[in-house]
Amino acid sequence: MSSVVFTACDNGNNKSDENAETNKRSASETTPSSNPNAEATPIEGIVSGYLSLKNALANDNSKDAANAGNAIVEAMNKIDKSSLTEDRMKLYADVEEDAKEHAEHIGSNAGNIKHQREHFDMLSKDMYDLVKSFGTGQTLYHAFCPMYNDNKGAYWISETKEIKNPYFGKEMPTCGEVKEEIKQ
Amino acid sequence: MSMSRIKKMLLAILIILIVIQFIQPARNTSGQVLQTDIVKVSNVPQSVQTVLKTACYDCHSNNTRYPWYANVQPMGWLLARHVKEGKTELNFSEFGAYSTRRQANKLRAIENTIKDGTMPLSSYLLLHKDARLTETDKKEIINWALQAKDNLEQNKP
Repeated sequence: MSSVVFTACDNGNNKSDENAETNKRSASETTPSSNPNAEATPIEGIVSGYLSLKNALANDNSKDAANAGNAIVEAMNKIDKSSLTEDRMKLYADVEEDAKEHAEHIGSNAGNIKHQREHFDMLSKDMYDLVKSFGTGQTLYHAFCPMYNDNKGAYWISETKEIKNPYFGKEMPTCGEVKEEIKQ
Repeated sequence: MSMSRIKKMLLAILIILIVIQFIQPARNTSGQVLQTDIVKVSNVPQSVQTVLKTACYDCHSNNTRYPWYANVQPMGWLLARHVKEGKTELNFSEFGAYSTRRQANKLRAIENTIKDGTMPLSSYLLLHKDARLTETDKKEIINWALQAKDNLEQNKP
């Protein structure tokens, strides 16, 4: 668990480079398996960027959120689409443009946390689809806050069961509940 | 500063202003309605179409209605930049080419920006009085955006 948190807090390039390296190595060394969870996931950098974004928003830290948004864009630019299976390639193509746009907006809106949260809501849907298809190698939780967006509610993905609401931050830190455990 | 130096400077400024008039940015006027236009892919009520065309299409479509000062530089350059940014954000002419999830998100953004009053931009409204939305206009756009988004989500593959 501590390594997960460490990755999540690291916005730098080094870590995602390392991840990319690890992915390459494990892909070439292990024979292709029918179980997608057995291999390292190509979206690890994106997920760790997303989790640090989520934590920054839960802490009302707009600047850290912006950095995490930029880290997601960087991680997305590094994805080698040609290495994906057909199903994943299709899903990724569907998500890519949308998710990147949200991450870019979050990155360029330091100081406007309200706007960052709007994009985080939409990004969270993209991220859920990605995580479900690609796997992440760690157990994640799909949490729901019923009050956000005029009581229409909004989901987010967390690495912990404990609720730390990224939509309201410190104003309402424990609002929400875990709806699904995404097992890996 | 002597009188003659001031005169020289004014002359230089005048020459620069004349020269830049010859650098005209390309116009954003395709003149056609593409198959990907929002009116072709979504059921947009006539009244909403009219509002979109008057208040949004100048920056969010492939057809800008240019004001006279677009011919005067550097105003034309500023306009060209605004239009480019607006189209990157949302282009109604190419709406149908967006992925379903992006379409849904754009509809939601339309709803939110109209509700907040962040769109149309206040700087745009200063010079385009016809683009000011009445409460009825706003309500109609918001209802349409909500409806269109629901339809998209129901027809999801």
